[in-house]
Amino acid sequence: MTNDSPLVAEFFATGKAADCPVIDCHAHYGPFQAIYFPKVTPEAMIDSRDRAGVRCVICSGHAALVDPARGNAEMADVVRRFPERFRAYMALNPNYPDNLREELARFDELGGFVGLKFLSDYHRYPITGEAYTPAYEFAQERELPILMHTWGGSAYDSPQQVAEVASRYPTIPILMGHSGHGDWEGAMRTALDHPRVYLELCAAYAVHGVVETFCQRVGSERVLFGTDLPWFDPHYGIGCVLQSRITDQDRHNILHRNAEGLFAGKLP
Amino acid sequence: MDFFDCNAAYGVPSVPPFKPATAVEDLLEEMAWCGIARALVRHAALDNESPQTGNRVVVEETAPHASLHPTWAILPTQTGELGALEEFLAAMREAGVRALWAFPSKHRYTLDAVTCGDVLSALSERRIPLFIQRGETSRGLTGWELAGALLKEFPSLVLVVTGHGSWGEDRYFRPLVEAYEGLHVDTSRYELDGGIVDFCRKYGPGRLLFGSAFPNTSPGGAMLTLAHADISDEDRLLIAAGNLDRLLAEAQP
Repeated sequence: MTNDSPLVAEFFATGKAADCPVIDCHAHYGPFQAIYFPKVTPEAMIDSRDRAGVRCVICSGHAALVDPARGNAEMADVVRRFPERFRAYMALNPNYPDNLREELARFDELGGFVGLKFLSDYHRYPITGEAYTPAYEFAQERELPILMHTWGGSAYDSPQQVAEVASRYPTIPILMGHSGHGDWEGAMRTALDHPRVYLELCAAYAVHGVVETFCQRVGSERVLFGTDLPWFDPHYGIGCVLQSRITDQDRHNILHRNAEGLFAGKLP
Repeated sequence: MDFFDCNAAYGVPSVPPFKPATAVEDLLEEMAWCGIARALVRHAALDNESPQTGNRVVVEETAPHASLHPTWAILPTQTGELGALEEFLAAMREAGVRALWAFPSKHRYTLDAVTCGDVLSALSERRIPLFIQRGETSRGLTGWELAGALLKEFPSLVLVVTGHGSWGEDRYFRPLVEAYEGLHVDTSRYELDGGIVDFCRKYGPGRLLFGSAFPNTSPGGAMLTLAHADISDEDRLLIAAGNLDRLLAEAQP
């Protein structure tokens, strides 16, 4: 292996690295209709994370992405049971505006939430839509990060729509989940134009060359790591980051340091 | 660990991936960077230009490199573009080619017993692995449905389906694994958390082949996933290289 990074060598030798406690900024919890998950319980997820040196995951419950009233409570319960290993995003479904307000109202009461999660492509409702306004106002008031599923060419959550939201709410930290998958130029443009927009790597890391291009063009300080766990083995995403042509400083930024800064004081 | 990549490519496709590998040196450089010892290689011309070109170029360009093993594409024999079947197999022997690809969508033919019966029978008898990308379509079928239809007609065919989607597809391919002993799957996008472990517990390691899907996909993900999957080292080595070594050794062009 001509990649002579000590960090890479340690990960390949032991599966983890002592000084690189990974933070997974994009994970889920619970079964999902379209996929078989062998490791779906919190305990099984913790096992996967321990094998890869993942210190903490920030999850949105799959159930919460469909039915927030039930799913967010379920997710909060997981955080209560495993406070040293889990944090959560409150998932919101804009197709039920009344419920969206009700969920925001119990954000503190449920506990364990460190941000909001939008899944607009699946909800078929644009991130620029009016129903999201209470969520944006809530996040703006608290400077609360929002993880958005984003996809290139989407009618609901494209990088260009993220830019529109970021222009309207410039103080909200926005995590572009999947980095606008496929529209890499658009995602980088949005991140460059909006300093509080982050490129989140889940699934994007697999595309050869994307990680190093993000680091070169936008800077590794604006790139966050996520796996969609229990979808994807943490080692898969970590391996893609490790074998990119970037420095160990970049790898540390992506795998944990940026998240430590963004979620300062909110992670175990 | 000795990684033998079953699914690597280089060349100039009509629509380039995000970071192309246009020359054989690009592939070799990536293999060295990641620590991949050997690779089964196809040239982009194989599906983007023509099999005649791709089959020739990949042999010429990989010949100086012992770590690279060329692969070819099949075509129906009725048009004679790759010669008669026996001539094609003889050319494979001479060129040291021991695995083939089918691109029925791009090459516009029907991958079934009527059109390719002679070729597929020969591959079955001679244990020559046939690779197909999951996105390929023929006879109105795509991916696992196409693989299932093909294996129903040729149950002893050694078929390797590559690049299955990042959305887990175990519900599709596990029934085929149970039904057909020749079905193999590459691990380039088998990202499912615990997927390799769970699969090996049920079916053993013999049907999984390490693949990178380079240059479309970063090899590091599939490598680290396999390197630290909770399976025995013996199983790990089989998936990393041993299974592909066995398949190529059994192939008799």
